[in-house]
Amino acid sequence: MQPLIAGLVRNRKALVGMIILLIIVLIALAAPLLTEYDPAARVGRPHQPPSAEHWLGTTRIGQDVFARLIYGARTSLAVGFGAGLLITVLGTALGIIAGYRGGKTDEAISFFTNMVLVVPNLPLLLVLASFIGQASPLVIAVILGCTSWAWGARVTRAETLSVKQKDFVKSAEMMGEPRWRIMTFEIFPNLISIVGINFIGSVIFAIITEATLEFLGLGDPKTVSWGMMLYNAQKASALSVGAWWDILTPCFALALLGIGLSLLNFAVDEIANPRLRTGNSMSRWSALIRSGEGRL
Amino acid sequence: MAFLLRRLGFYLAAFIAAATINFFLPRLMPGDPIQIMFSSTGTELSAENLASLKLTFGFVDGPLWQQYLTYLKSIFTGDLGRSIKYFPLPVTEVLGHALIWTVALMGTATLISFTLGTFLGILAAWRRGSVFDVVVSVGAIFATSVPAVVTSLIVLFFFGFTLNWFPTGYSADPALDPAFSLTYILSVLYHGILPMLTLCTVLTGGFAVTMRNNMINLLGEDYIVMGRAKGLSDSRVMIWYAARNALLPTVSSLAIAIGTVLGGSLVTEVVFNYPGLGNILYQAILARDYPVIQGQLLIMTIAMLVANFIVDISYVLLDPRLRRT
Repeated sequence: MQPLIAGLVRNRKALVGMIILLIIVLIALAAPLLTEYDPAARVGRPHQPPSAEHWLGTTRIGQDVFARLIYGARTSLAVGFGAGLLITVLGTALGIIAGYRGGKTDEAISFFTNMVLVVPNLPLLLVLASFIGQASPLVIAVILGCTSWAWGARVTRAETLSVKQKDFVKSAEMMGEPRWRIMTFEIFPNLISIVGINFIGSVIFAIITEATLEFLGLGDPKTVSWGMMLYNAQKASALSVGAWWDILTPCFALALLGIGLSLLNFAVDEIANPRLRTGNSMSRWSALIRSGEGRL
Repeated sequence: MAFLLRRLGFYLAAFIAAATINFFLPRLMPGDPIQIMFSSTGTELSAENLASLKLTFGFVDGPLWQQYLTYLKSIFTGDLGRSIKYFPLPVTEVLGHALIWTVALMGTATLISFTLGTFLGILAAWRRGSVFDVVVSVGAIFATSVPAVVTSLIVLFFFGFTLNWFPTGYSADPALDPAFSLTYILSVLYHGILPMLTLCTVLTGGFAVTMRNNMINLLGEDYIVMGRAKGLSDSRVMIWYAARNALLPTVSSLAIAIGTVLGGSLVTEVVFNYPGLGNILYQAILARDYPVIQGQLLIMTIAMLVANFIVDISYVLLDPRLRRT
């Protein structure tokens, strides 16, 4: 834990990522102080370009784009971190249990994990969201959490297999420590960097996927979020009528948040890698975060 | 051989599991999907009409297990029922048509970005720490961390609307009849440029980073030092000693990428109104066209399974150690 934090402070990528994330979090928290407008209310004439009155212009139905942007950040962050946490907890727990217990338990969990991995994720999410109908951010976060833990579980299991061979685990077993204690206090702390990468990767994935589902019109229209901003702007043909502020604002916000989190993720990976020479599973996982699931 | 057989068994089990999810998903959801499907017309249907409609669309009454068996049978005989939106076209025909566009778009984009990304990754790792490496690494972070929706919309906005260089939708000029003529082919290429550009932007960075990191891990190996000590040329060591071995994990990331490409192409197709599988799925969801949705999920699962199996085979071919076990 200590070298991870020390490394993060010294790493330039981590610093930039941290600053981006911090700014977005602060803006989201301070939203009511930064704007007097209600993000859902009609406060001006439709599709006004940016002005002193409406810093980022207005939407097709006259809502203030800046107010929607900063209140929308709350939704994106909440869904991202909520779903990210759920994905990480599920993946880590299943991975450690499978890796440590071995035998039939391992076989059952691994089979289940591999099964979930080969079902295409986004199409399945689309179908689920459409069957539920007008999915609220909370529902989206829960669906994401329940369908996206498999990669984390696979990687955590592979790591657990190697940690379990270490002497300190053996000695804890000799001393008769209960199994749950070995898993939580002996094995888990040694997987912290993998869990960290899993968590940040999952947050990125959840934020992107929430925005994608909402952009495709599967979200709850009453939600104030970046995905709904994209959806409404696209529906109002913002691009073809030249209302660039309506559609580019959420685009840049999503891009910025994605870049900030990715920088953090790369940094954690860079710091953790020398200690984690497991090769294949690790590189597959990094590859996944960089080129894989997160990129929908 | 035993390895491949075991994998094949797993894929078959995975396929049946996916088909089962596919079957139960609409049935577990609140409300009767068949009622929702037919009530969208707004008119009241008599029980008799409903029954005959259900029959036409391939729904069977009876206990769940019987429906399930009929469903499994229909999958293996390739009969996926008829589309509601494009009635009376069979689902297989609707999907088959879209499949061609998606495979052409996706296949080309994956090929281009895999080649380009791998090449950039090799060079970046070889000149680690140089300006080129920094540009490739940072560029890759940027390109891969921006959501596909955002990339698609920005590309559409700048090249489609602001600069007006390229068409903003469809796979070809709708005024032209699909034919094997030069005008039509040129039109298809012209319309494909923007979606292709988007997909390549989304995918290249990931391949580049994977290749770069694999290469860097390998460059410290003894046989690389040995190759250099022997006085082999740089390019020989780089390509035949390092890159060749670093490519192995990259091939597995290609299998992961298939899932990404399916997802990414879905969004890109919707934004550019491209008539591929992703767009068909999107339209089917909007129209509550359940037979098409089910068929679509099935096809995407099969694509994933086939891609994974091909990767397994290529692993056996590329890595002699696997052949012995």
